[in-house]
Amino acid sequence: MKNTTVEASHLGKAYGATRVLQGLSFSVEPGDVVGVLGKNGAGKTTLLELMLGFTLPTEGEVRVFGHESTRMPGAAKARVGFVPQQDELLDQLNVADQIRVIASFYKNWDGELMTRLCEEWGIRASARIKSMSVGERQKLSILLALGHRPDLLLLDEPVASLDPIARRQFLEQLVEISSEGQRAIIFSSHIVSDIERLANRIWILKEGRLFWQGDLDSLKESIVRLHLRGSIPLPEEAGIPGAISIRRDASFPTAIVRDWSDSAQVELERRIDGSVEVQPLGLEEIFVELHR
Amino acid sequence: MFILNPQSGVPIYRQILEQVRRMIASGQLRPGAELPSIRELALTHAVNAMTISKAYSLLETEGLLVRHRGKLMTVAGLARNAVRGQSPLNKRLEQIDHLVDQLVLAARQLQLSEGELAKALRRKWEETDEKHDRRSITPR
Repeated sequence: MKNTTVEASHLGKAYGATRVLQGLSFSVEPGDVVGVLGKNGAGKTTLLELMLGFTLPTEGEVRVFGHESTRMPGAAKARVGFVPQQDELLDQLNVADQIRVIASFYKNWDGELMTRLCEEWGIRASARIKSMSVGERQKLSILLALGHRPDLLLLDEPVASLDPIARRQFLEQLVEISSEGQRAIIFSSHIVSDIERLANRIWILKEGRLFWQGDLDSLKESIVRLHLRGSIPLPEEAGIPGAISIRRDASFPTAIVRDWSDSAQVELERRIDGSVEVQPLGLEEIFVELHR
Repeated sequence: MFILNPQSGVPIYRQILEQVRRMIASGQLRPGAELPSIRELALTHAVNAMTISKAYSLLETEGLLVRHRGKLMTVAGLARNAVRGQSPLNKRLEQIDHLVDQLVLAARQLQLSEGELAKALRRKWEETDEKHDRRSITPR
């Protein structure tokens, strides 16, 4: 199974009769940064938990570094880093002790890296965890996942409480890690603009299924909005090739289409006797449009 | 050196492609000029490195950039451009097609005539001509 970091086939999870995820097949290679998008309850956290081996799949399987995620040997687990949505810091400790506790689990812990990052991120070793703000706790929780230089870093909504400056520091740190090309990152976030910067691949989860997976660049090139300015109205039943949705109610109709071509453009312009303007869409708009 | 907008619907690699092509065409980037490393661009703009590397590879395939082992990529020399031959007119026009689209659309919305638009374009052209001439006579 060469170097593939994560590989899932027909992966699914149900709690009783409720199917949270179904039919997920994907692979993640070293150097990939995957941004996971989905509405609340789309199954993002469950997907990360399946990869971490925290929970058993009810269909299919997911392999991490070639091992079934629930049966990973210690050496493989030591190559994974995880930032949970709710931090798991110990209130009664100070920062230095908290770092020591986590470091004790790893042979490959990089103390120097930790010291440098704490300094850069403004985390004092003597600070008591109990008295830290939500944002500071989140920063520390992220740093703790980096100390053993994981080959696979999973992050579940890691930046919700960070201010813009801290978020930028976080982004730069992740860009630095990913630009080495050896390590993979998978992170879920509602902050679409962060995903747009960091990720080269996008997974869109919708109703428990992997609704879209692929390159961010190809996604942006594939899905565009058309603005129809013609003298002949588009007939009620008339379709547009590759249309995901068509809005006819406005005085100038618009449509979201997939894989728009020059020939389709010429044909549509002829049908409406006018012009069709093609508008590229940012990730946030694509995400919203795919949920209409 | 690039103006990148990660939130744009135009992928980052395309933004870089267009800007490098334009800077080379306008003489802002001369043969032999070094481009920033992929890592440096990724870190300064806080964007994924792969999309930048895709842009550089495509520009190398086009013959506009040259890759050097362990060093920065540079703008291809004139000889190389000459061997490649100047790209055909329609190819070069294609590169500004979307800009022309926008211009024509804006002009129509403002109800300018074709002649008025052409006049404005000519005036701009002559203005930048002077600047362009001045730049190209400065010794390298």
